[in-house]
Amino acid sequence: MELTDADLVARVLADDDQHAFGELVRRHQSSVRGLLRQLTRTDVALADDLAQEAFLRAYKKIRSFRGEARFSTWLYRIAYNCFREDARRRKELVGVDEDQWQAEQDPQTVDPGLRHDLMHALSLLPLHERTAVVLCCQNGLSHDEAARVLDIPLGTVKTNVLRGREKLKRTLAAWVPN
Amino acid sequence: MIDDETLDRQLREAVPYINDDGFTARVMARLPAASREPRWLRAMVLVGLALLGSGVAYLLSGGGRFVREGMIQMTDFPIWLLLLFAFGCGLVVGAFAVIFAIRKTPEVRDLARLRF
Repeated sequence: MELTDADLVARVLADDDQHAFGELVRRHQSSVRGLLRQLTRTDVALADDLAQEAFLRAYKKIRSFRGEARFSTWLYRIAYNCFREDARRRKELVGVDEDQWQAEQDPQTVDPGLRHDLMHALSLLPLHERTAVVLCCQNGLSHDEAARVLDIPLGTVKTNVLRGREKLKRTLAAWVPN
Repeated sequence: MIDDETLDRQLREAVPYINDDGFTARVMARLPAASREPRWLRAMVLVGLALLGSGVAYLLSGGGRFVREGMIQMTDFPIWLLLLFAFGCGLVVGAFAVIFAIRKTPEVRDLARLRF
């Protein structure tokens, strides 16, 4: 029987079992790296560096994981904080503003294919909307979980998801081939 | 226009599984070294040292004579002073307990960061 995340965390806490932590990394590396790739606008190298940093922090702070949220939610929060700190250092936290988004959504500039279009449209969203959409729509977190990850009010998460979705729909309505 | 459910499904499908490709190994290589001694051994060493220190203090103080003398002196104190002393001790211990409980409880700690 496969061990749950909670079992693996318990092993890390009880015996400092690094193999158990390795299994947690293996399980969650794809979603954490995927999230960070979305946040960094597909800068793969930076996203992977931040993901490594996030897992290292998770290992050092694992005693603060109380099991009230899912392990993945806790991990996303650490990953998001790593991204935010890095972005602050780079002074790029502002994201793309509305005018730039409007200017960039010209369908002619985008390669064909719904998946590519969708990812491109997602990358054009302002950071706060992109993050909310990635967490809730792509990674399946509830609004409440996303609010915990982002450390913002629940209503703000709902608004950001709604606005992000609407922008994606508008963009895709123009891009999807008939 | 595309509906929410279809959009969410397409968003999920748009992100393929990212192969590990040595990522886990790189993270594991950067982990700090695991403590070699088991946790129970550390606890035993601490308890042992505490007992040893108590034993040495007991012997050096003439079999705890100062404790007996202190207790005898306290019997001469008025009852209200003893009660005040006990109450003060309780307050100090309680204050430390509350401080440490707050430091260990994220929900309470987070109250300071709430935005209204």
